[in-house]
Amino acid sequence: MSTPGISKRLAKRLGIVSAFVLLALIAFQAQALEPNVYRQFMGLDSRKLIWFIAQLHLFFGAFVLGVPLFAVIIEIIGWRGGDRRYDKLAYEFTSLLSVAYATTAALGGLLAFALFTLYPTFMGYMAGVFKDVMFMYALLFFAETFLLYLYYYGWNWLKGTEPFPNSVRLICKVLGIAVIAVGVVFFFEGFGPQLRGDTRAFITLLYFFPTGIGLLIIRDPKSSHILIGILLNVAGTGIMQLANSWAGFMMSPAGVDADGELTGSLWIAFENILATPIAMHRMLGNLAFGGLVAGAYAAVKFISAKTQADKAHYDWMGYVSNFVAIGALIPLPFAGYYLGREIYSNSAIMGNNMMGGDFSWTFIIQAILVGSLFIISNYYLWSGMTRIPGAERYYKYIKWILGALIISFAVWLTPHNLPLTGGEIGAMGGSQYHPTLKFMGLMPAKNAVINLIILSTFFSFLLYRRGNKSDVVPISQQGKLPKLIIPLAGLVAIAMVGQYAWYLLNLDPGELDLPADRAQYFQTLAHMMLVQCAAAVVVVVLSLQDKGKLAQGLFMAVTAFNVVVFLGVYGFVIMEKASPFLRNVAVAQFLQLISCLILVAAVDLFLFKGAKEIGQLKWGKMTVRSQYSLLLLTFIITMNMGLMGFIRSGLRGDWHIFGIMRDTSQWAYTPSNFTMTLQVSLTVLVFMVGMAFMFWLGSLAADQGKENQ
Amino acid sequence: MSGVLKAFILLLITLGAFLWIGASVTSLTGGEHRVSGEVEISPEGGETIFWGKGRCFTCHSLGGQGSAVRCPNLGQFGSKFPLPIGARAHERAKERSEQTGQEYTATDYLVESLAKPDAYLVEGYKNEMAIVYAPPISLNLNEIKAVISYLQSQGGELDMAAIETPTELAKGYFDRILAASAAGGGDPGNGEEMFAYTCAECHTIDGTGGEVGPDLAGISRKGLKFIADSILTPAKKITEGYETFVVVENDGRKTTGIRSRETADEVDITKATGEVVTIAKIDIQEITEDELSSLMPQDLTEALTVKDYQDVLAYMMMLKDE
Repeated sequence: MSTPGISKRLAKRLGIVSAFVLLALIAFQAQALEPNVYRQFMGLDSRKLIWFIAQLHLFFGAFVLGVPLFAVIIEIIGWRGGDRRYDKLAYEFTSLLSVAYATTAALGGLLAFALFTLYPTFMGYMAGVFKDVMFMYALLFFAETFLLYLYYYGWNWLKGTEPFPNSVRLICKVLGIAVIAVGVVFFFEGFGPQLRGDTRAFITLLYFFPTGIGLLIIRDPKSSHILIGILLNVAGTGIMQLANSWAGFMMSPAGVDADGELTGSLWIAFENILATPIAMHRMLGNLAFGGLVAGAYAAVKFISAKTQADKAHYDWMGYVSNFVAIGALIPLPFAGYYLGREIYSNSAIMGNNMMGGDFSWTFIIQAILVGSLFIISNYYLWSGMTRIPGAERYYKYIKWILGALIISFAVWLTPHNLPLTGGEIGAMGGSQYHPTLKFMGLMPAKNAVINLIILSTFFSFLLYRRGNKSDVVPISQQGKLPKLIIPLAGLVAIAMVGQYAWYLLNLDPGELDLPADRAQYFQTLAHMMLVQCAAAVVVVVLSLQDKGKLAQGLFMAVTAFNVVVFLGVYGFVIMEKASPFLRNVAVAQFLQLISCLILVAAVDLFLFKGAKEIGQLKWGKMTVRSQYSLLLLTFIITMNMGLMGFIRSGLRGDWHIFGIMRDTSQWAYTPSNFTMTLQVSLTVLVFMVGMAFMFWLGSLAADQGKENQ
Repeated sequence: MSGVLKAFILLLITLGAFLWIGASVTSLTGGEHRVSGEVEISPEGGETIFWGKGRCFTCHSLGGQGSAVRCPNLGQFGSKFPLPIGARAHERAKERSEQTGQEYTATDYLVESLAKPDAYLVEGYKNEMAIVYAPPISLNLNEIKAVISYLQSQGGELDMAAIETPTELAKGYFDRILAASAAGGGDPGNGEEMFAYTCAECHTIDGTGGEVGPDLAGISRKGLKFIADSILTPAKKITEGYETFVVVENDGRKTTGIRSRETADEVDITKATGEVVTIAKIDIQEITEDELSSLMPQDLTEALTVKDYQDVLAYMMMLKDE
């Protein structure tokens, strides 16, 4: 535990930084119409300096936003399952957080100073448009600070499980229901400013519902501590959303005229078209990142561990961290797809530049990184099977999963056009595209293989879960719960897929600027989705009749066929005949895959519940290689975040604010991929060294705590 | 060796691999393209734009230079492109003249290709070219002229006179680019679509559209500021004859709109929806001009995105008197 002295110093530092940020905001008024002014610090390249500080701030920011998410999830698991280990783990990570939090704030202050001093015109304009949001940001920052300290220092104070009086519980329940009800009304546009559906969903699902649920579950001091954790995350998410509105505004300005004057309500500028898609993507990314940084911490501790008990503890910690990270990693490509689609909708030129222009090769590098993330995650799971007695029964599947992953990986990183010499083109018969590989570089192939990668990872996870279970437990003998949950999951799956099938059946080709006869392609896709719905019904029936394994196999096979095989090929037909419809195909693939994950996971939840174990999990019996794979995952996701930041920011081209304020500085050009890797590598290196230092500080404080005890 | 040191070594190896990939990709794609500041109208200036700010290289290669294949190679390349663009432009201009019946010079062809890329596509290619004078590329007229001179010099003869003293056809395109630049770099093509979708409900251009608002043919003569103000704050300066009137009838009914016709006995009020209401003067208790409001929607800036607004402005700046 860190000492009160340290915490006071942190709080003081935080206060000073926050005060300077506020002063800076007040000092600079909007000066949008004046010519751009640029300054340098010690003759350095201002853009690279800002890039470095901003990226470093974002890494630390992602950590301090991701870890509380991770910690509260772990705390809830421990609280629900009565397993004290989870509670200890959540506390251990929260203790690391308090050190990182002050660094994040200090970096935020440095970034603000750097921006205001080096880019005064740009920042003056931004402060003019977003002054209210910036003050709200600063206030939320205080809220997050107080909640974090309350969460951390209140851990032991609120650890009790003696029930509160009934009256208190009743009041909390009523409040919880009220907050959820208000959230529902808000979602259905009952009140509030005019917002798009995605923003309303984001606010409802991440602010109203968690707060409401946090109030509903209150029954003792421990559950009220969880509520504080939830509120901490609500405040953190709010801060992120406010800051994202600035980043989104720079890419897709709204609510201002061509001179940049605010013409309407600030809400319009705040809720610009890209703000929420960026926030959704960052939210999942932060959770995966938080989990993996925690995993890296566990891995380093495992590698250095001297005793078997320590190895067992850190092995388990690494497993839990990785588990949470994979949970966030699986839907991340879909959030990325949504963001990309919105970028395209906002500006086709920006979209073309992203996928086929300046950043096409950057995306190839990104494919290498993301593919590596999935392959290494799978490797870690397979390594984990060595600590599970009985899991050797499933080793035979690993080579097939690996094969599928490698082939998918290869397809995913194949570019559409290869940089070839005249001689090479001559050898290919004069064509500029490779006769076979050209297909691998197009979206239908890429969409098919990313879905296969996710499905394969999920399959690895299923094998891991059943590793030490002797055989299934008949669902019919497990009481009412599975009879409720499995059909409910089936209904969710059918609703997700069915509603889209219905939409496609009624979709007018004219809406996509296509002739009427193209409706046949919509119908083929809709019918395929109805087959998926029918398969979901069969899965529910089979599961309830104690044929859960068969049901899982059937649904995964149907999904793999529909999403990977059929749409992987049919996508090319659609690309040829009804190209604008291709984006709907991607949505159909996503919905079918998610429905499969939900229903198969629901069945799996009960399939081995209480099953006889072949042997106890041997925590700590892991290869050191597996721990390096955890470290690699952390390095790669951090590099990937830096790379994606480069793309997102670089898409504006030589505009500070796309179409409104031009970058007239000497640095107004798109840096090369080498410059990007250099800049990102430097930031990652500094971040990792900084994290190592903080972990060391955390361990010092922990040792001191033990001594005091 | 401690765990931290081992982790650090692994980090260095990983970052080394990352840097190697970055360096390889950059070397494959022709290095970093830096450009900033003004360029001269010359092949050298055009080259700087082509490989830098103009981002032409993301879609076009030039012979063996560059790796893009999405759009036609502008150098001599294989059997498909036996001539570089400077020489090829003469052939393409001849074909274009035959196709349209209008005389095209090689420079006209190049100007048209940049200003309106979908006008005459190379067989086997789709129109995927960005509007180079709209964001994010936003080349100004001089930069576009510089690119044209660079393209002329690729296997052809540099003809600065054709650029400085353009034909009527090329001048039309140059005017289009100037109009778009003046409007903050909007895309007039998209602006025309936006106009048809929103503004044409009330305004007429060349006899097409609604009649609630003024005819906008030749509106560009009133200048950019007037047009911008009219969209953002329509009540500020209302065109004569389009003032807003409020008619209160004896029974208390209120009708707001433009006084589109008036006789000794009755008044026609055209409402914002286009509906014309005829009211007998005998039934009118009061008729007043509302100087503070216009029938034009007040929330256009909220309904239009900034880009759409700039596109519409660019389109309007092209609406000149015949």
